[in-house]
Amino acid sequence: MLQLQPHIAVARQYDELYRANGEPRAEYAALAATLARLGRDEILDRVAAINTALLQRGVTFTVYADSAGTERVFPFDVIPRILRHDEWSRIDRGIAQRVRAINAFVHDVYHAERILREKRIPRELVYSSKHYNREMIDVDVAHDIYIHVSGIDLIRNERGEFLVLEDNCRTPSGISYVLENRDVLKRGFPDLFRDYAVCPVDDYPSRLLDVLRFVAPRGDATPMVVVLTPGIYNSAYFEHTLLARRMGVELVEGRDLLVVDNVVFLKTTRGLERVDVIYRRTDDDYLDPLYFLPDSSLGVPGLMNAYRAGNVTIANAIGTGVGDDKSVYRYVPEMIRFYLDEEPLLENVPTFDCNDDTQRRHVLANLDKLVVKNTNASGGYGMLMGPFASRMERESFAVMIEATPRDFIAQPVVELSSSPTLVDGEMHARRVDLRPFALYGREVDVPPAALTRVALREGSLVVNSSQGGGSKDTWVLQGDGTC
Amino acid sequence: MLSRVADSVFWLGRNVERAETVARVLDVNYTRAIDPYAQQSGRFEALWRSVMRCAGFVDEPKFGPAKKIASECFEFCAFDRDNGSSILSSVRVARANALGIRAELTTEVWEVVNVLYLYIEGKDLRAVLREGPTTFLRRVRDTMQAFAGITDATLTHGDVWNFLQVGRFLERAYMTARIVDALDVEDEPWHESQRLLEMCCASVPFAQASHHTPEARDAIGFMSLAADFPRSLRFCVREVDAAMHRISRAPMGTFANAAERRVGRLCALLNYTPVDEIFAGGVHAFATSLVLELELLGSEIEDAYFPRLPIVAMLDA
Repeated sequence: MLQLQPHIAVARQYDELYRANGEPRAEYAALAATLARLGRDEILDRVAAINTALLQRGVTFTVYADSAGTERVFPFDVIPRILRHDEWSRIDRGIAQRVRAINAFVHDVYHAERILREKRIPRELVYSSKHYNREMIDVDVAHDIYIHVSGIDLIRNERGEFLVLEDNCRTPSGISYVLENRDVLKRGFPDLFRDYAVCPVDDYPSRLLDVLRFVAPRGDATPMVVVLTPGIYNSAYFEHTLLARRMGVELVEGRDLLVVDNVVFLKTTRGLERVDVIYRRTDDDYLDPLYFLPDSSLGVPGLMNAYRAGNVTIANAIGTGVGDDKSVYRYVPEMIRFYLDEEPLLENVPTFDCNDDTQRRHVLANLDKLVVKNTNASGGYGMLMGPFASRMERESFAVMIEATPRDFIAQPVVELSSSPTLVDGEMHARRVDLRPFALYGREVDVPPAALTRVALREGSLVVNSSQGGGSKDTWVLQGDGTC
Repeated sequence: MLSRVADSVFWLGRNVERAETVARVLDVNYTRAIDPYAQQSGRFEALWRSVMRCAGFVDEPKFGPAKKIASECFEFCAFDRDNGSSILSSVRVARANALGIRAELTTEVWEVVNVLYLYIEGKDLRAVLREGPTTFLRRVRDTMQAFAGITDATLTHGDVWNFLQVGRFLERAYMTARIVDALDVEDEPWHESQRLLEMCCASVPFAQASHHTPEARDAIGFMSLAADFPRSLRFCVREVDAAMHRISRAPMGTFANAAERRVGRLCALLNYTPVDEIFAGGVHAFATSLVLELELLGSEIEDAYFPRLPIVAMLDA
């Protein structure tokens, strides 16, 4: 039988499965019983079968630091993470509120700039954002929707409250793992599901397609939607293929598209076909070499003009990065009050702005207690975990912070909640986060398909796949038979 | 469908077919090389030389000592990275093409290619030779035949499937022509004919069709002109013709592009040429001209559907 290490029960952090007294939480009781009944050998056999299946299916990601572009299976932990219906509905409402506010903010900074004129957010913070895009000023996008797809990263503090750690409003990835994890877990461990009513996740692609069709520029009943991928070497290529396949739309690369007279076409074996909506999984910089990086071979020359002419919808819109800039993050609660006249349902993690002299002095004096993040980086790259860093790492960050303070924020270390995880054949407590995805069409839709990432290294608080993270199936339980 | 996708599907089909054929050719000749007739001096080299030619070796191979010939040849045909027709190269190219069009393929189709790729990447030459190459070769052959079944059964029979058929049957015709070209039917006609039939998995179908032991004329006639045998040149070319007309939607018997014109002419040639005429003109001349025709057909298909400089051509269209 698999036993959790005894020290976990008395740990500081909130544990998803166990109460402080070592008893499983009510919603986990049936799961814990089934796992105990299966026994260690049976579980490990099934885990091995699942890992083979994932490799054969090619559920892999590419690690950039690895020169060969090696494909690796994204480690999957079979112990699911369960969210009660009441927990989920709070998250659902909080995320929807947040995304509405950030979307309103992005629209505002490219139009009337009300929030800047009323000095609720410093003007220079917006203008200095790397992802603030002047080309977008006064450009109207369909239905004023910029952030069609977002992934908001949540963590759980010592008291079990969910906090927003980070907003991802450009091209968040991870939904393919949600879909695949559920599929392999249902096949490998059907018995785990027996006692639960788990909301299905497999309608995500059709919900996404609804949004993409809704924002088409022409009133066409069946607009031509495509998924734009940078290609097979992108770390999320598997996800791009999965979404295109499940939505039944073409997966295209830049070289498959052609712009003629500000209209975007697809190069097909029967000639050119008009494109209405591009769900792009590339960064702004790689969209159009005429506007952005001139030496990029990934982009489509003329795409930006077609976009500004209103002949094509690009999802997410260009320039949304101003909304998920790590320095702008601390103003999101302010945006919620300003645009929606509501109080935030989900709290932020306290954040120090290194651009502010007083706050920077505090950060530099407390580097050993703080997490420092580069505001332009993502995926767990370019960050300092103060308490675990070497003296040299801290000193090199101090130099960088002094040189370009606008590029850094700092946050206190939050003890992420833990969840029992299989490591080397034994159960250990490992830290987890939660990334729900929001789809913005007629309204903001938060499908019960969230990604739980888990830091597989002992004691690690970084869950990114590029930094040794894995994932878990995330169960949102039905309440009164609904999701 | 996207031109890029058509391109990849076409080469996926071709490389799967090539890997399967090379695996079968190697397997057959490993067994044949044991027979007493093959052990005579000169003949052993000739047999392996013909295998090398089937697998894409253009020059006259220079073999080392006799006892190493088989393994040298196996290495070249199965594991040589620089030989574009080796099993390893074909599977890599097939997998790379499949990866680029994953969204167009079913999970089952992708998995069968990926699993074989992972299998081959995990093998090394010495280990395969030590355990005898048959296990390895059968695995390749079986997987690639499964690929044909899985694509037929899980893909919509639309343009992706049609381009796959074009690639598959063009390559099969091409390999059959190369196998015929590599034979030496003057010497040991019975053995060579039997070898030909086995390399094209045709010995039983031939026996059923002809009711007698093979003679060179009958075996080559069968592999070239049999109406219903799925590896005969005639059958393969007809399949290419049909798939291309499904893509262009031009009526059969007409042509919409240069490729269809050429494949129609090849169909007529194989439909109506008597076997005696093939022999009168010489088997090699016949096979060599077919190899050339099929190469031209391949580049005309490329020009019609996935030209390397597409923009101007597409705007004109």
